[in-house]
Amino acid sequence: MPAVIVALAIVFGSINPNFWSATNLANVSRQMSILALLALGQTFAILSGGIDLSVGSLLALVSVICAQQMKNFGLFEGITAGIVAGGLAGLVNGLIIARARVPPFIATLGMLVAARGAALTLSGGLPIAGLPREFLVLGAGYIGPVPIPTVIAAVAFVLAHGILRRTRFGRYVYAMGSNEEAAVLSGINVANYKMLVYITSGLFAGIAGVILTSRVISGQPTLGEVQELYSIAAVVIGGGRISGGVGGIGTTLMGVLVLGILGNGLNLVQVSSYIQNIVIGVIIVGAVYVDLARERRR
Amino acid sequence: MKMKRFSAAVTVAMLTVAGCGRGTQTSQETAAGTPGAADATVAQAVTDFPRPAKPSKAYRIGVSIPHLANPHYVGQAYGYIDEAQSLGAQVTLLEAGGYEHLDKQVSQVEDLIASKVDAIIIAAVSGPGTIGAVEAAAAAGIPVINVNVMTDSDKVVTRIRSDDDVIGRMQADFMGERLKGAGNVVMLRGAPGTSWAEIRGNAFRKQLAAKYPNVKVLGEQYSQSTPADGLRLMEDFLQTFPQISGVYNGADSTAVGAAQAVKGAGKVGSIVMTATDFQLDTEKFIREGVISASVLQQPVTMGRWGVRAAISYLEKKPVPPVMFTGLMTATKENLDSLDLTAVRAPARWTPPTR
Repeated sequence: MPAVIVALAIVFGSINPNFWSATNLANVSRQMSILALLALGQTFAILSGGIDLSVGSLLALVSVICAQQMKNFGLFEGITAGIVAGGLAGLVNGLIIARARVPPFIATLGMLVAARGAALTLSGGLPIAGLPREFLVLGAGYIGPVPIPTVIAAVAFVLAHGILRRTRFGRYVYAMGSNEEAAVLSGINVANYKMLVYITSGLFAGIAGVILTSRVISGQPTLGEVQELYSIAAVVIGGGRISGGVGGIGTTLMGVLVLGILGNGLNLVQVSSYIQNIVIGVIIVGAVYVDLARERRR
Repeated sequence: MKMKRFSAAVTVAMLTVAGCGRGTQTSQETAAGTPGAADATVAQAVTDFPRPAKPSKAYRIGVSIPHLANPHYVGQAYGYIDEAQSLGAQVTLLEAGGYEHLDKQVSQVEDLIASKVDAIIIAAVSGPGTIGAVEAAAAAGIPVINVNVMTDSDKVVTRIRSDDDVIGRMQADFMGERLKGAGNVVMLRGAPGTSWAEIRGNAFRKQLAAKYPNVKVLGEQYSQSTPADGLRLMEDFLQTFPQISGVYNGADSTAVGAAQAVKGAGKVGSIVMTATDFQLDTEKFIREGVISASVLQQPVTMGRWGVRAAISYLEKKPVPPVMFTGLMTATKENLDSLDLTAVRAPARWTPPTR
């Protein structure tokens, strides 16, 4: 997969030299940061043997709540409210999955629909404008030459990697995804750790939602359509197994890079957005096929 | 169905078009902050913008529009590309895939900035939502021309659009006349957060309240402005309010769906429906008498003026801050005598899909 990314970058760079410009690299990484954060949460969900279909809609719900609270109470309060809202939605997902034993696909499908509805209800369907200008810095600002959303996503990757590799929670995520029954039998409190998985996913969606709200400097109830599917694609393209237990932050990073570079590169070399969709579809299936073929050969 | 009322309404329409720009500021304030409408310069909007001399340089212009699913934007795309050809410019046309894909439009504008185009033309998916993207372009030294749907950012060279206020009033006048001053209407406003849905809808309401106080607005709905939305919302409206006698559409993309609902309910002839724009289905439904009238914008002209404004600015020639393209009303009576060169792309023309 790293070879594919290098190849893509070389091809795009040779067709349009602007691809390698500092402006564009900053640009691609900023655009990728939202998907990257969603994919991080999705990694936890998929690794644990579940899935989180609600992350796209949560972007919209977080955006509306963040914007409303920001207008009512201020910058910091809005940002906090947005992230907390994401975490709470994750908690609800977790409760339904772990306590009520509703399959993750169904529980988060319900949240996908309900969160969109909540975003539309709270906002009356209208965008929430008039946010403070300083808020724009979060989505559009830089630390040195690096866009702030890129920095946040990078920190989140390191953090998530640490959690998965160095904490008990991380080991149990793999254990649940590899064999849930075995995890239960070995005394892991599966229900609690499942809740933690969906809270984590919700929190990452919350952070992504706040950044996206800053990028569009308004609360938008229609944000994030089909983003949940791209986040799943990012996880599996890199080599994460859809049924859980296999993968990690490294493979997800690969998936995010492939999707991000493809989207931006195809735009820069002027490939039609319709054809782009076909290419991305083929790559999702192709990447997983190659992975499986390699596994079978072993 | 009193046919003679048509001519009166059409005359009113033509008069308002001729005098567009007059006193259109006062009725344009809204809760969501109507994009572009608060401009003090609206009153000085120009209504003609001739083609500048062909520049010696081949400029690269990036265009970002909401989508290409409505012939309105296909006409606009034709305007951009055909005019660019005449002026030796190269157009990169990007579409966001619908009013719900604000994040995509923001990314597209960023990609245009990164590929260092000479100018960017934007029809904004959302007024407030595009502020950051437009200001990023301005900060990178790339002039932004705003066409058709307004951004809330004031960092634009010029705003080129229909006088949406007049479109709302034309529909209200037609509705009021046809209903003989009394009736119950519902409104399909269009995409939330867009200048056209806000300004037209507000003007429609205001004009009804002022001139036809007995025409009541029973309800209004926003949507992503697709035929499917129009069909679904209108079916529900017909269930909720059996007494509906009029339907307003901010754009014909909902009207062609709503028309199906009216036909399905067997209410053709008892409901007056007005719309904006002129896709082929709109023409068909006007001919069938399901849609009573539609206000035709000039998307091709919008596209042409957008490219002219970009090149004029790059060539350091003056560009007026606000420009209004023309309007006319289509009804069953004048369907076959309309000059559509500024309204539609040529029949077999297809946009280079991006």
